[in-house]
Amino acid sequence: MGSGQSTPKVTAHDRAILDLKLQRDKLKQYQKKIQVVLDREHEIAKVHLATGQKDRAVIALRRRKYQQSLLLKTDSQLENLEQLVSTIEFSLVELSVLHGLKQGNEVLQEIHREMSIESVEKLMDETQEAREYQREIGDLLANRLTHEEEDAVQAELLALQGEALGQAEPEVRLDLPSAPRSLPLVSEEVQQAPLEAKRERVPVPSS
Amino acid sequence: MALSTHTTPSGFLLPSIHSAPPFFTEQPNQTTHAHLTEQWTRLILTYARHKRLFVLRVEDAEAPGSDWDEILRNERINRRILPSYLSSLMAAMVAKNIAVYEPAKQTRAVLLYWRLPEEWADVLHSWATATGQLNTILTFYEISDPPIPSPLSGIPIPLLRRAITILSRSNRAQIIGVADGEGVRFFVG
Repeated sequence: MGSGQSTPKVTAHDRAILDLKLQRDKLKQYQKKIQVVLDREHEIAKVHLATGQKDRAVIALRRRKYQQSLLLKTDSQLENLEQLVSTIEFSLVELSVLHGLKQGNEVLQEIHREMSIESVEKLMDETQEAREYQREIGDLLANRLTHEEEDAVQAELLALQGEALGQAEPEVRLDLPSAPRSLPLVSEEVQQAPLEAKRERVPVPSS
Repeated sequence: MALSTHTTPSGFLLPSIHSAPPFFTEQPNQTTHAHLTEQWTRLILTYARHKRLFVLRVEDAEAPGSDWDEILRNERINRRILPSYLSSLMAAMVAKNIAVYEPAKQTRAVLLYWRLPEEWADVLHSWATATGQLNTILTFYEISDPPIPSPLSGIPIPLLRRAITILSRSNRAQIIGVADGEGVRFFVG
């Protein structure tokens, strides 16, 4: 005991709940007992009836009826108790929800305190300033280049562009096959053989 | 004689040794005796687990009609264990810490540990977790006799108390006492 994080303290609440639950258990045990009595009276009535003692059987059944009414009464009491226990437990849950909400609210307020509008505005202003400062530096650095240097840069750019265009066109031309300048020469054997075959079937003079 | 296993009416499979007549008498030979004690303890514990029995009494061997008849007697070979033998078996089990005399200071009844109190503690805690009863106050009665059967139905209060004590040592449970009785609260741990 007492080592590590200790278990929560037993409060008066807890004792009250336990007391209620113990009461409930007692009622349940009582019901069990009544049930046994009910069964026993039933048996007794049966035995009496078997031996022909009808009046005794009636007495047993009457007792049984009384016990039955007791059982019904305890049922409603049990219901009350259980409802009370559930209500208490639910209220405890609500309490912890409330506690959670409260804590969440506190945290949110803490965060908001750190994040006041002025400080955000100030921060945004500072960011803006820093950005402008950065731009000025960039301008300064860019202005370091002399006019001649700037011209040279432009010339280089043009040269690069020209090179790109000049290289792209001849490459396309080179890839194309040159068109034939003479008529295609076909060997006579190849040309005549199919023609003769054709003539036999269709005897039309060709040009 | 051929020894065979036998299934009891309650669905428990008896080992073949249970139909050997010498099994039911205390053996003079040390080795045999030790072996049979071993067999008996295993049989008693598995049967107890099968039928969820927690208490074994010497009386169970004295008269028929107890929950233990299926293993303490074998009508097929007309044998039964003698109370004196059962008593010595119980002593052996207590010595091996798989049973305790309950109540203490007598040797007629034992509480069987077919689950050790540490194992019961685990069962208890996982049951409380699975049924969402952490941080709720529970009475011993509602744990040992719940309206719907649970793995803990019928657990004897002394055993339950032992398991809870083990849990409370690791801050996973807390015993709450009032004038009328006791309750317990489980934590995530």
